[in-house]
Amino acid sequence: MLPALFPYKLLPYGFRRKYRPQRFIPKQKDLKSKYDVVIIGGGGHALACAYYLARDHGITDVCILEKGYLAGGNTARNTAIIRSNYLTPEGVRFYEQSLKLYRDLSQDFDFNILYSERGHFTLAHTDAAVRTSRWRAEVNKQLGVDSELIFPDEIHRLCPSLNMSDDVRYPILGALYHPPGSIARHDAVAWGYARGATALGAEVHQQTPVTSIIIENGTVKGVETPRGKVYANKVMQAVAGSTSVVAKMAGFRLPIRTIPLQACVSVPLKPFLDQIIVSGSLHVYVSQSSRGELVMGGSTDPYGLYSTRSTLDFKEGLLGHMLELLPMLGEVKILRQWAGMADMTPDFSPIMGPTPVKNYYIDSGWGTWGFKATPVCGMTMAHTIATDTPHELIKPFYLDRFVEYAQVGEKGAASVGH
Amino acid sequence: MKVMNCPLNGPRNISEFAWGGEVKPMPDPASLDDHAWGDWLFLENNEAGVVREWWCHVPTSFWFIAERNTVTDEILKTYPAGELFKDRVNFAPKAEKM
Amino acid sequence: MASRLPHPFGAWIDRSKPVGFTFEGKQIDGFDGDTIASALLANGQTMISRSFKYHRPRSVLTMAGQDANTLVQVGDEPNCLADKRRIEPGLKVEGQNYVGSFDDDKGRFTELVERFLPVGFYYKSFHEKKTSWKAWEPIIRAMAGLGKADLTADFHHSYYDKQYLFADVAVIGGGPAGMAAALSAADSAAEVVLVDEGAELGGSLWYARFNVDGTHGSLTRAELEAAVAGRRNIRVLSEAVCTGLFADNWLPVIKDNRLYKLRAKSVVVATGSIEQPSVFRNNDLPGVMFASAAQRLLRLYAVKPGNRAVVLAANNDAYGAALEMLDAGLSIAAMVDLRAAVPNTDLTQAVRRAGVEIIAGHAIKEAIAGPGKARITGAIAAPVAGDGKLGDGGRTLECDLILMAVGYSPAAHLLHHAGTTFAYDTGSHMYRPDTVPAHVFAAGSVNQAYALEAVLADGRRAGWLAARDAGHTSGTEPPAPVDLGCDGVTHPWPIFPHDKGMDFVDFDEDLKYKDLINGIADGFDNVELLKRYSTVGMGPSQGKHSAVAAVRIVARETGESLNRMSVTTQRPPYTPEKFGHMAGRVFEPERRTAMHHRHLELGAQMMPAGLWWRPAYYGKKSDRDTAIRAEVSAVRSCVGLIDVSTLGGLDVRGPDAAEFLNRMYTFAYAKQQVGRCRYVLMTDNAGVVTDDGVAVRFHDEHFYVTATTSGVDVVYRQMLWWNAQWRLDVDVANVTAAYAGVNIAGPKSREVLKRVCEGVDLSAAAFPYMGAAMTEVAGIPARIMRVGFVGELGYEVHVPASQGEALWDALMAAGGLEGIRPFGVEAQRILRLEKGHIIVSQDTDGLTSVWEADMAWAVAKTKPFFVGGRSAEIQAKKPLTRKLVGFTLANESDPCPEECHLVLKGEEIVGRVTSAVRSPSLNKVVGLAYVHPSDGEPGKHIDIKVQGGRRVTGVVTKYPFYDPDNKRQEM
Repeated sequence: MLPALFPYKLLPYGFRRKYRPQRFIPKQKDLKSKYDVVIIGGGGHALACAYYLARDHGITDVCILEKGYLAGGNTARNTAIIRSNYLTPEGVRFYEQSLKLYRDLSQDFDFNILYSERGHFTLAHTDAAVRTSRWRAEVNKQLGVDSELIFPDEIHRLCPSLNMSDDVRYPILGALYHPPGSIARHDAVAWGYARGATALGAEVHQQTPVTSIIIENGTVKGVETPRGKVYANKVMQAVAGSTSVVAKMAGFRLPIRTIPLQACVSVPLKPFLDQIIVSGSLHVYVSQSSRGELVMGGSTDPYGLYSTRSTLDFKEGLLGHMLELLPMLGEVKILRQWAGMADMTPDFSPIMGPTPVKNYYIDSGWGTWGFKATPVCGMTMAHTIATDTPHELIKPFYLDRFVEYAQVGEKGAASVGH
Repeated sequence: MKVMNCPLNGPRNISEFAWGGEVKPMPDPASLDDHAWGDWLFLENNEAGVVREWWCHVPTSFWFIAERNTVTDEILKTYPAGELFKDRVNFAPKAEKM
Repeated sequence: MASRLPHPFGAWIDRSKPVGFTFEGKQIDGFDGDTIASALLANGQTMISRSFKYHRPRSVLTMAGQDANTLVQVGDEPNCLADKRRIEPGLKVEGQNYVGSFDDDKGRFTELVERFLPVGFYYKSFHEKKTSWKAWEPIIRAMAGLGKADLTADFHHSYYDKQYLFADVAVIGGGPAGMAAALSAADSAAEVVLVDEGAELGGSLWYARFNVDGTHGSLTRAELEAAVAGRRNIRVLSEAVCTGLFADNWLPVIKDNRLYKLRAKSVVVATGSIEQPSVFRNNDLPGVMFASAAQRLLRLYAVKPGNRAVVLAANNDAYGAALEMLDAGLSIAAMVDLRAAVPNTDLTQAVRRAGVEIIAGHAIKEAIAGPGKARITGAIAAPVAGDGKLGDGGRTLECDLILMAVGYSPAAHLLHHAGTTFAYDTGSHMYRPDTVPAHVFAAGSVNQAYALEAVLADGRRAGWLAARDAGHTSGTEPPAPVDLGCDGVTHPWPIFPHDKGMDFVDFDEDLKYKDLINGIADGFDNVELLKRYSTVGMGPSQGKHSAVAAVRIVARETGESLNRMSVTTQRPPYTPEKFGHMAGRVFEPERRTAMHHRHLELGAQMMPAGLWWRPAYYGKKSDRDTAIRAEVSAVRSCVGLIDVSTLGGLDVRGPDAAEFLNRMYTFAYAKQQVGRCRYVLMTDNAGVVTDDGVAVRFHDEHFYVTATTSGVDVVYRQMLWWNAQWRLDVDVANVTAAYAGVNIAGPKSREVLKRVCEGVDLSAAAFPYMGAAMTEVAGIPARIMRVGFVGELGYEVHVPASQGEALWDALMAAGGLEGIRPFGVEAQRILRLEKGHIIVSQDTDGLTSVWEADMAWAVAKTKPFFVGGRSAEIQAKKPLTRKLVGFTLANESDPCPEECHLVLKGEEIVGRVTSAVRSPSLNKVVGLAYVHPSDGEPGKHIDIKVQGGRRVTGVVTKYPFYDPDNKRQEM
């Protein structure tokens, strides 16, 4: 161990007599009656936006209104996979920028988000899946993103735990291998942004739902909360799982269906799986966290629902297929299951930027692909709000692209969303 | 595993059904301008509350309508599509277009 | 050999059946009925596990599988609950999570640097440099985790299955409340399923001391058990655990290697309560356990938990436990009672009479650790000076056992799963159910009933109500219990932090009191945030012993009222459940055509097509390319036969059949003649190409329509969905599986077919291209269509599936002279590509419009409506962004591009190759690709990036490539 890598930041804790706390979220203040920017939602995207508004644009009079506890929505519930091996050039550019930001985040925050590059494998079990994997690999490579279509021998070499046998219902024919695929501690990302944003002057208000939106002559003026009215020059909504509900308050609709996405973890095990494994055909994905738990998920639920309830059917379907890929895990146990609410769009790409209401911006449509976009979303939405112009990277994700028949088709690259 | 009361088959596990989304009767497309058509086609109410939806019992290919609370998942009633769609839908012949 | 207490202790073990197993290589002797933990303790093996972070020795805490202090590795099963798992001969049990050896675990030195590892320490460090976490993560990962996954295990060698069960009333929990509820429901003639974790019904009646002479529990138990056994309508599942309560009362119950999926009209949750610990220094070490754990050890397994006990008391149960210990021959150093004034009850008086000292108004400040922390050797008691505060003047009491009896929390997990809300009861200092969802009932201590009479009354009432809810009523509603006995059972603040720490709030995660305080100070000042930051409640026992303490601590630190707080969300499963149980036998349906065996006999390599199996080619894998080329050649030069049974088939019948097709597809069908075929192309309402096939008109009011193999089920459902709204007079039947089909293709196909087809004139004039007929082939009723997918003279023959094999045999025999050759999907793909025919979802994607796919010819211009038509109109007004074209290579020596190689303009991606092959018939590369619209004309050059990043030049070429005038398919 080089001295440079010594965890010297832990030393003060041992040598000080009293613990010196560092508040990640300042004590909640009273709600002012006016701010420069109000952000509806207090998850990763909202906090990231507040951070970049302050850091990059000097806009610090920002208020985040979170109806529950900080980042308690989808930010707390996702399976924390970060990758940029998408299908469309628009998507690849966007997520690749996110990866670039992610790599430096721990240093930016001075807070370890446990960012761990593990290598991401999207297994292909049919000819069509191999074809789509090649498509993604080619687009990735053309845009400078590290992805490769690999075949069973190479898959086995890189990922020895996988069952490569032909004696299964759907043998593995190939895989899209994306070495930069990573995992991180999802809550830590939100807390890091929270601390960064509030240190620069933003305010975070928890347990403060928005009950209506104040609009005059097609322009947003502010919002109403149980703690009073809050006026603002600009408002953004970033409320995955409640997007349509809040947009309805602002008087417009979106092409979104809200569908639960379930996940579960195993009891912690000593490390044996380093990679992130996804199978589109079998509708399962798995990685092993630094705590030792296997973090697993599958497709979205079969029907829409505004609930984080979980089901037995989800576990049955998931584990039946998981054991085909990793048959040594029959005796391993599930510790906990939960769900988030995924806002699914027709083309599996997000909806970002201005809305029919002037000065009202939206960050939404994050389906099953939101956590990995946290940094780039914050950065681009901050730019969009500060300059009144959509950032280059998010221009393709404009709300009207549907009625204009200009969708950004990512269904082939959302892990198992469909 | 929720139970869905199929109007044809009675109560069955919900895994036997396919969800068809909100009931959005299609207006005659020729009567809408391009933007209005796109709005009808793509925009969703995505209500958090009682919604009227299409469901199909897959083994018997039977489409019907359910009223369900999308927050509590309570299924309030189910009935055959014919109770809502009573009349034959006709489309007026085209004036020379395209 | 171990010493055991004599009968009547050890109710669950069979001393006539000794069972031997090993623990860490040491021979352990037990009896049938022992759990691993009880056998280990009986053999003097006190330490059973090492804690997660500090590797401190741990032992029995609950003896009920509720904690994670006794997790062991059993064979290939990691993280096994030693206090629940019954021993079997030859079991190989190992400890977990140690460095070096179990006894000499080097991981314990982590405790030396404990002060450098504050709450959330891994967030606060290991990021000093960009490469820090990369270097440290493997080390932290190796320290984390508990058991090991056995990488040589194979789930396929085990057996797990599933079974459905139905009940009017499901009762979860077979203690006094559960049994009373089951009996009451059964008396109303409900069909009852009673689920209990224990080896035998009875719950706490097996070990709790309700009265001074200790008989009340066992008498009550025997009575109830006999009554239950006597009811035909109560089905008992023992040693079964219900891990969740899902929508509409869907209950997973795991017993042995079976997952029962139980549907109940109503559910009674009688799961009892979980004893809660006191927080003091060294409260985690071997020798510190719950009073109920010690009682279980005595009564169920005849194991003495120690020799000399200190009982930390705050309720009457503590005194019952003390009497139990005395009966078993332990001595009691003292009762250390948190209460300033100890009530006079039968039990407390009996303990006094037995000469046991009662030190009132005192708490345990510290458990004294023995050598290696392997066992405690004493307890320091100190006077309680306020909530969490201890005064000066402690007393040291010599003991090797501390029993904690300071309170409970309801085991309300299933109620939480169902959506029950809870309210904090300031009288009992516990959470109680507030609003319980419909069809769910709570009974017993989970519902605040602690006095045995109240428990039984609560159970009776809940069972009656549940039966009525399920539609069965008899007699009148039993009264609610009057005196629940829940006040004075739980102490509101049994938490005494110590300056020197090691005062654990969460045993699973090795979290000390100050870890939570510091977490709150860091800004994580509500229970959900604190949980995520500190990991309190995130370990294997999911907060069963820390969730309530955490709520109390947060309330205290933030000034928030417990009334406005709740424990962190309880999620399934109640206790960890094996992957194997969830997977079961994993049935994967397969669909096989009627000719499946013929393909195997002919040496086909089969490939999946959706759920179906189809022949990819015929021949050895090593001969793949040769075989496919030979098949292509056979079709082009004489005759080939392919099984097309998997393709979708829909019978569309009725007066509105043609109108229906007009609306479902892009083309026009009203004027299609009987006996003719016409292409069908389907788009969805957004104008995206979704499926294609052929419509055959057999009658004015009957069309037989084909669809793609993977698309037909959705096409069929979509058709029914549309007509549910249109109400046209038409019927659609999905007859895909009812018909087997072949395509016989090649210049000799007419001759071959003639030999087995007498009923129809197959001459070119009588049966032209795109003609159809219903007739007989080889005596089998058949639908024959002349279609041109592969570009040769050919006929598609569909017969009832039961005759598919006979048809195949007849045609193979009839074609013997010509050397008829079966061909598979791979050859067919090449043949169709040589003609430029698209395959939907290969040459089209999720956004392809008819205009991009160059299929304007298939779009009728004057129909009032078709699905996708309005969108197609809108799309037609916009400039194309890409166009599907045919291409060949400028240089034949260049490599053939692969599917999805990109088409570039400069460095910009403008399209991709969708299909490409070095055509055996033309000896050159042909393919289809999306290109930039400005390059969409024949003769234009396109830039294709192939394997290795190399660029090759393609030439846009009109298709069909082969037989451009279609003479061969139309002959």
